[in-house]
Amino acid sequence: MMKKNTNIIVIGCLLLTSVSCKKFLDVNKNPNGPSTADPALYLPSIQTNWAAGLQFDGRLIGPYIQNFQHSTAGIAYDIYGYVPSSDFGGELWRSVYWKSGMNTIDLRNAAREQKKWDILGAGLAMQAWGWQMLTDYHGPIILKQAFDPLKNTFDYDPQDTVYAYVKRECMEAISLLDRKTDAIGSPLFAKFDLLYKGDPLKWKKFVYGVLAINAHHLIKKSIYKPDDVIGYVDNALASNADDAIVPYNGTNSTDANFFGTLRGNMGVYGQSGFIVRLTDGTIFNGVKDPRQPIMLNPSTDGVYRGLTPALGQSSALNAATNGVRSIWGTTLGTNTVTLGTPGKYLFQDKVGFPLMTYASLQFIKAEAALVKGDKVLALQAYKAGINASLDYVKTFTADPTAIATFNTQRTAFLAEPSVVPANPANLTISQIMLQKFIALWGYGFIETWTDLRKFDYDPTIFTSFTLPATLYIDNNNVPAYRVRPRYNSEYIWNIDALKAIGGFDANYHTKKLWIHLP
Amino acid sequence: MRKILLLMLVVCGLLFNDAPLFAQQKTITGTILSEIDSKPLQGVTVQNRQTSQKTQTNSAGFYSIGATTGQQLVFTFVGFGTRTIVAGNALTHNLQMKEENKDLENIVVTALGINRSKRSLGYAANDVKGAELAQTQRDNFINGLAGRVPGVTISGTSGMPGSSTSIQLRGVNSLSGSNQPLFVIDGLPVNNQTFNANNMVAQSENRTVDFSNRISDLNPEDIESLTILKGPEAAALYGIDAANGAIVITTKKGKAGAGSISYSYNYGVEKVGRLPEIDGVYARGTNGILNNNAINAATNSPLYFGPKYPDGTVKYNNLDNFFQNGIVNKHNLSFDGGAGNYTYRLSTSYSTRSGVVPNTKYDRINISLTGTGQILKNLKAETNLQYINTKNQKVSKGANSFYLALLSFPTDSDITDYLTPSGARKKLTTAGTEIENPFFDVNKNKLNDKGNRVISNLGFVYDPLKWLTLTGRLGIDVSSNEYFVLYHPEANPRANFGNTNGSLDISTQVNRVITGQYFATVKQNFLDNKLKLTLRAGSATYVFDDNVYSIRGENFLEPNFNSINNTTTTTQRTKSIKAQKRVVGAFGDFNLSYADFFYLTATGRNDWTSTLPESNNSFFYPSLSTSFVFTELLKKSGITDILTLGRIRGSIAQVGKDASPYSTNPALEAQAITGGGFSYGFTAPNPLLRPEKVTSKEVGMELQFFNNRLSFDGAYYKSKSVDQIINGLRISYGTGFILKNINGGELQNSGTELIVRGTPVKSKSLTWDASVNFTKTDSKLTKLPAGVTEFYNSDTWLFGNVRNGARPGGALTTLTAQFTYQYNNNGQLLINPTSGLPLTTNNAIWPVAGDRNPDFRMGFYNSFTWKGINLNFLWDYKKGGDVFNGTGLYLYNLGLHPRSVQNRETNLTFDGVLKDGLENSTNSTPNNVSIIPYYNNSFYSGSVIDQEFIERDVNWLRMRDITISYQIPARLLGNTKIFKSATIGFTATDLILITNYTGGDPGVNGTSVATGGSGSMGIDYGNLPVPKTFNFNLRVGL
Repeated sequence: MMKKNTNIIVIGCLLLTSVSCKKFLDVNKNPNGPSTADPALYLPSIQTNWAAGLQFDGRLIGPYIQNFQHSTAGIAYDIYGYVPSSDFGGELWRSVYWKSGMNTIDLRNAAREQKKWDILGAGLAMQAWGWQMLTDYHGPIILKQAFDPLKNTFDYDPQDTVYAYVKRECMEAISLLDRKTDAIGSPLFAKFDLLYKGDPLKWKKFVYGVLAINAHHLIKKSIYKPDDVIGYVDNALASNADDAIVPYNGTNSTDANFFGTLRGNMGVYGQSGFIVRLTDGTIFNGVKDPRQPIMLNPSTDGVYRGLTPALGQSSALNAATNGVRSIWGTTLGTNTVTLGTPGKYLFQDKVGFPLMTYASLQFIKAEAALVKGDKVLALQAYKAGINASLDYVKTFTADPTAIATFNTQRTAFLAEPSVVPANPANLTISQIMLQKFIALWGYGFIETWTDLRKFDYDPTIFTSFTLPATLYIDNNNVPAYRVRPRYNSEYIWNIDALKAIGGFDANYHTKKLWIHLP
Repeated sequence: MRKILLLMLVVCGLLFNDAPLFAQQKTITGTILSEIDSKPLQGVTVQNRQTSQKTQTNSAGFYSIGATTGQQLVFTFVGFGTRTIVAGNALTHNLQMKEENKDLENIVVTALGINRSKRSLGYAANDVKGAELAQTQRDNFINGLAGRVPGVTISGTSGMPGSSTSIQLRGVNSLSGSNQPLFVIDGLPVNNQTFNANNMVAQSENRTVDFSNRISDLNPEDIESLTILKGPEAAALYGIDAANGAIVITTKKGKAGAGSISYSYNYGVEKVGRLPEIDGVYARGTNGILNNNAINAATNSPLYFGPKYPDGTVKYNNLDNFFQNGIVNKHNLSFDGGAGNYTYRLSTSYSTRSGVVPNTKYDRINISLTGTGQILKNLKAETNLQYINTKNQKVSKGANSFYLALLSFPTDSDITDYLTPSGARKKLTTAGTEIENPFFDVNKNKLNDKGNRVISNLGFVYDPLKWLTLTGRLGIDVSSNEYFVLYHPEANPRANFGNTNGSLDISTQVNRVITGQYFATVKQNFLDNKLKLTLRAGSATYVFDDNVYSIRGENFLEPNFNSINNTTTTTQRTKSIKAQKRVVGAFGDFNLSYADFFYLTATGRNDWTSTLPESNNSFFYPSLSTSFVFTELLKKSGITDILTLGRIRGSIAQVGKDASPYSTNPALEAQAITGGGFSYGFTAPNPLLRPEKVTSKEVGMELQFFNNRLSFDGAYYKSKSVDQIINGLRISYGTGFILKNINGGELQNSGTELIVRGTPVKSKSLTWDASVNFTKTDSKLTKLPAGVTEFYNSDTWLFGNVRNGARPGGALTTLTAQFTYQYNNNGQLLINPTSGLPLTTNNAIWPVAGDRNPDFRMGFYNSFTWKGINLNFLWDYKKGGDVFNGTGLYLYNLGLHPRSVQNRETNLTFDGVLKDGLENSTNSTPNNVSIIPYYNNSFYSGSVIDQEFIERDVNWLRMRDITISYQIPARLLGNTKIFKSATIGFTATDLILITNYTGGDPGVNGTSVATGGSGSMGIDYGNLPVPKTFNFNLRVGL
């Protein structure tokens, strides 16, 4: 009885309202944003979040690689541990899967449809770079199953799969960037591409840069081919003008550099003792590195000091004239500073953050040539790397006196045989690693870490590099070799797949990556 | 007027009466009105005793029946008894019938504003009189429901004026979505949103800000009665928004007759509620060494691990110096009256409450106009128009709030001294980062909301035919609100998003809900009126429209001027969020009653919602309920002298739920970063969403003894929800997103509700009414999406590593915690041989560590009336249920909690065995490492796991409210010639709290109602306890 009645009602209403009803209910298209956009419009967010990913995570691996240390003693990342049940250290994961992820897929689809081959190439290049960074940081990652809308859990792919995929993606990007027809050269590409203003030639150099990194990181493998690496570098960034740098307006808390004083994240970090030793002459025969006053901060008494990992600095010393200053040059231990406090070097509100530099690639070339046995080429690339870094750092000062001092010190620095050997035969891997470390200080976190892991934090190569006496409790006295996947992404919601790769092991972060095993 | 009515009736009577005048038989007509409020009574049975001919009055109370002079007409109506008249020469017999004692309580307003006798309902429905709620003098009448009704869980966010309150009927039905019921005023749904802080440009959590829930806009004085329809059974006709039950509010209407004016005034004083105990024995420092700069890096709070304060230290009572007495002032003025078929009621109210925290204030102005009119004999109209203006000044809550800063403020510093002579923030330490003086916070940071709202209802009831009624209603609820969050340039940068030199977030929200509803009711009686059938069919439309414009600016030009115009233009950012939702429903309802003892109701509704994909957007859900009044069959046995009424009832119902707007379609979000552009938001679009279904079953029994001097009503229910739409399920980022709305979980919910009412004493001078209610609810999460072992809401992860987390097989109200102690195979605690501290396991998958769900709740209500004096009070008892004392853990970490003060200087050895490799052998080593915590304060971070601060089985007994009032006898007023009536009274709320909880108030809620699921009820972190309020009031009638 009831069913019949309601059926009659329902059918009646359906008949009366079906047409108008459909229209009336059609209000579920989100008015707060378009469902797709011009491919160029996805670029700024993807690019900015790459930088943000590296910077956020730089707070974890910055101490691992002893770029800088935390002001509080015994903090987990100073002793090669991690912060359990925390997303700390998982920002690159967020940038690659979320901020790049579906946005890149949309960008690629739209660019392909609109035949904007240059944007498509750039999109592929960016994604390849993201996978490359992510696998060098975490090891196995989700690749093949990623972004499948029908899946809610995702299997991990081993690192070799990721390496091969990155290479393929780069090759495809190159062929697209070579295309000269159809809708390439859109003004929106020039406007929204923060890295290269829509220049396909520079993008192509960037792709070769990714290929160089991809090929060079296989150095411990039998498949390593130094000639390939050298070839890629030679096609990659040709000078500092080709550096991939993410710019910041720095006008407010949403568009300022994460490392700057406005965002207030870095006041608890101070320069490491290691970088001070590398730049104050301790290691290089008393020759001062001209970059030191631009990159680093002296204590208020004018002496350059650095923090020892895991020891922190007492609040009394923070306030004292011989205390290490924060990386901004302010009192260490507090993120609270007055708005407008300038900060220092890369740790400023409006300074761009380098993703890939000419200098870093030259050091890669130097190492490849050294392995190959071509020491002349090695020294040539090594020198190019040092000079590029010096030139880059020099741009951070406009003071004529400082520039003059810089130039004087530069000459002395380059003349010092322990820095630049006159005879190519005397060039050592340690020299390459140390000069690369200085050049990449403050931005090249993953590349530097890859080097340190490659040589197992060897103090004979990284002269005077010292691990803390006691490492994190789960480490079993082994330093960190990988970072756990993002906690809130994987440890709660993708447990089975993570268990399959041993991600729940207490010492997972100390296991060596595939690239670092023979 | 009455004459006109009579005339009309006569005319109508004549029209209907075409019988020949010479016949003996004539048609008698008339109107039956209620003696109390002169409203027409529909459904009165009119029987000619001699001929047995029967009829019923229509919605206008009108009847027409054949009779000859001298025959008896018997009028019967449930709850109104029986009246008999003898037909004379007159053709019209009007009658006023009076409700029998208490029987008014037996009529409830159910879905669509339909009045039904309680005995006919197949489900539990509780009603509360508006006056009962109004007398408590609470601003938010929802808070007055706590303990009053079984099956209702009320939890306020904090003791701040205007704070939001969560209300749950029958526990948690949704894992992630809202569990708040639908609010219906005079038959039409209204908006009860709580503004979500995520709509602001740079506020992204509901932990530290709390905006009012909009139903609190209502003036309790305008509520005539409130019916709580708890399950989907009760709400099957309201559609998807009522899946969590409905609270049906009937507003006061005017009464015909001479106009009357009533005025009431209330003055109240508020005192701060129960605060946690703090032991200010030790001075600032670490490891027993004095250091006024010692700071806990995680919370920026001072560490109290220094030496004892030396004798003679000047100590300040900072808590007392900070809190003030809150003041409440309320004025209510109402006019009502009516002439003939028209009534009106105009009510105005102004209420202002300043809280116990400086600079907190809640002001509200309500104006309400209600009119009813019998436009034609068979056309009635009813309208209500309300205007509400609210202004609420709040302060911070939770992490970095004034409250935690206050609790951890050094007792040897004077809290009132918070500015330097130049007006800058005075610092406690020379360290860079430190807690903010709470006075600085409440005076310099601003958090407020302001609102203007108009709610309008218009309803028509038209009876074109004797057996047919057409009802139509239209409701509009429009509000415009402004939300304002300001941090002073010198405020804590954690709250300020960096060193921004001041920031201001403003959101302006314009919200509109339009509801339309029309239905036809057909009533027919058969079998000598023994079988009564009612059939209803209709349609409803719901249109929701929400627009939020948000702006943020930073870097104040002038530090103490609070306007967006005072921020640096380059820092300004804007955001627009619009939301639209439309639902069209068609419903039918079929009622059958047989001989007043068997009732059957079947309903069906189909909804079409805009929020689901077109292929899944239509769904049908039925309900069936029955009531069997078995005492009707026992009338002859004499048992009914004792058992006046007895019935059993049962129901089964289903309801569907839709998704949030825009869950199915992708949209890009504009980016405020350098370069701008677009990017996807947090949540993955899901074009495959299906409606969620809840099926609920209920059985109940009601017994009334001794003419209702004693009654019992019990219900047991069980519901199952499948295909739960989990909003914002956190998911592997492998999706390309952080959250996804998916059909995933399955859960069950069951419970028992009992209420016993009685009138132990009833004499001419003294009446004692008492009632006891009992509630027990249980929930179980039966299924989560594959790959997910715990569902938690990150908003609830407030402090330490304890959060609202639910795992399959467990309840929806559980807490999960990260750390557990390590034990050997014999269950002995394992101790670190080096430090002497217990060893802990850091669990990647957090185990369940507690359950916030109480074993049961009870409410005890007593009312004594002696001559003109009435005393009533309500106790609320909660048995069991765990509470996470986050505030306690915070204080413990700082060395202020009593547990971190006692035994600090003694030599302690944990009872356990050393983890030295022998721990699982027969000769394990008992712990022999002792520690003196005074010299090693890592003891207070390493010796306990966070879950030790989950307090087990927290009970409470609260006196929710107590009122004593005295109605001044008319003879005393007689001389004044002005007042018709006058009452004076005293009410206190939250006066007594007896609990085994060691913290402040265990009833607070860590986040606002905007957090879905089981929310943060039972998570106490940085929330101001509910204050005690003392009210004096006066009510006069003119």
